[in-house]
Amino acid sequence: MIQVSQLTKYYGDYAAIRDVSFEVGRQQVVGFLGPNGAGKSTTMRILAGFLTASSGKAIVAGHDVLTDPLAARASIGYMPENCPLYPEMRVAEYLDFRAGLKGLHGAASRKRVEEAMQRCWLSDVRRQLIGTLSKGYRQRVGLADTLLADPPVLILDEPTSGLDPTQIIETRKLIRQLGERHTVLVSSHILSEVEMTCDRAVIIVGGRVAAQGRLADMVPAGGRLEEFFLRLVEGTAAQPVGA
Amino acid sequence: MTGSGTSLLADAAWLALGAAFLVVLGLAVWGVWGARSLVRREFMSFFYSPIAYAVLVVFLGCQGYIFSGTLDLLNASGPRGVEWPLQHGLSSPVFWLVFLAIPPLITMRSFAEERASGTLEMLMTSPVRDWQIVLAKFTAALAFYLVLWLPTLLYLPALLGMEVQQIHWVNQKGSILALLGALLLVGGLGLGAAGRFTGNDWGLPAVAAAALGIVSLLGGQFIAWHETGHLVEASFQLDPAPVVSTAAGLVLAGAMFLALGLFVSSLVRDQLVAAQVALAIGLVFVAGSYAGSAAEGGLGYRVAYFLSVPLHFERAFTRGVLDLGALAMYASVAIFCLYLTVRSLESRRWA
Repeated sequence: MIQVSQLTKYYGDYAAIRDVSFEVGRQQVVGFLGPNGAGKSTTMRILAGFLTASSGKAIVAGHDVLTDPLAARASIGYMPENCPLYPEMRVAEYLDFRAGLKGLHGAASRKRVEEAMQRCWLSDVRRQLIGTLSKGYRQRVGLADTLLADPPVLILDEPTSGLDPTQIIETRKLIRQLGERHTVLVSSHILSEVEMTCDRAVIIVGGRVAAQGRLADMVPAGGRLEEFFLRLVEGTAAQPVGA
Repeated sequence: MTGSGTSLLADAAWLALGAAFLVVLGLAVWGVWGARSLVRREFMSFFYSPIAYAVLVVFLGCQGYIFSGTLDLLNASGPRGVEWPLQHGLSSPVFWLVFLAIPPLITMRSFAEERASGTLEMLMTSPVRDWQIVLAKFTAALAFYLVLWLPTLLYLPALLGMEVQQIHWVNQKGSILALLGALLLVGGLGLGAAGRFTGNDWGLPAVAAAALGIVSLLGGQFIAWHETGHLVEASFQLDPAPVVSTAAGLVLAGAMFLALGLFVSSLVRDQLVAAQVALAIGLVFVAGSYAGSAAEGGLGYRVAYFLSVPLHFERAFTRGVLDLGALAMYASVAIFCLYLTVRSLESRRWA
């Protein structure tokens, strides 16, 4: 569903990501792990179509994000970090607006907005101003927005950042549920969360992919992801670039 | 058509140009229609912020003051009076000061706030093209600008000294067409509103009905001008033609300043900086009329006249003259600024 090959992004002379290559198959929930500043958000923004890569290829649901951007964006539900919303709009109003941007209008739009609100437990706050919602509810609005057009691919950048423990558990449950029907790429730097929601992971350190594959294969039985991750981060200078 | 070959070529060229223009216009309309939820959101968001109401109050207050001043002049006895009533209002520096400040205030928020809050990322990752985003925001700003001017239509009957002389029965094709057109327009608007409330997507038939209604209304009115005895026979003590030319000038000049404000807003992150820079650039288009007298006919005077919007209104639009050069300037500057805004938006992706 997602094929990234040799993706590179330079900000001036600084290489945010370099030769990043990985694949996410259909209906997989893949965790995108890495320390802060490793290039997770940059990669996700390139996949979502907000940035253009300096070189390399990114193909989402069969559409190249550079040559066929509109079709690629139509197949992606993207939620950036810090989930930006319009605080002066109401929840249902905002979702209606986003549905309109994704090509849904009238009765179809209302149906999809209802479904998305139900899936994300937003039906009680549909008339509330987004500016008055708590962080947890706002993340849910962002998640509902990604589900509106029922896209095959979901790209979520740190969906549980700033949430309290109960909200984190609910969101994790939701992401696991979503993985049954969509392909999900979740970025995080909370290792325990990735262990609980994802079967596979791509670990990116210093702008390069350090490891990728099934979590069970990467971390030996009985070992902990944390130790593996720390070894990768610390040893990244000596570590050969992962497959 | 005269028989010479070059005339045929010229006609063909004009036809092709006209067709190309219509195609581009159609494409723009289709693009804005595709992003109509963005237009709706932008337009409504003007009314969620207090700035819109402050602008409305100040603007209408200023207009009311001008209107009462003009009316006084028109009703004055003795050697006072005014030849072109609209010119009196639209020449005063008070009006232009207020007018100049309004488009920056309307557009300062469009892109600057979205960049600052991060919602621009959400817009640019949606399946809409960059030019659709820019045109949608421009359409919403222009619609708000027109809403700003709508209450001043109320001044017209008094200003022009309209008197209803006779009301005729609907029995001529012009009046039938006009009445049908008015009904279609109202019907179309009602259909659109009903569609919004019941959740059906009647947008397309509503807009089609409204457009057809407007065409029919104008067509019927035009036909009726050539016949006697239209629906309502009114006489005007003053020539109503300057109203049409002033309206055309106001719409296009407003479009120019709005496009300018939109472009500046897309370049900066801070709303106030956007408003101030847009105001400063707008001054370029006003400064000429207050620059002092240069020799008439000299190059400096001609450049100042060409750029200065108040002079266009004073010399042409309020006198009933459609200065096509000025209108072309407004339209081309507006289109150029919109083009630059699209480019500015695109450049974010390559940052």
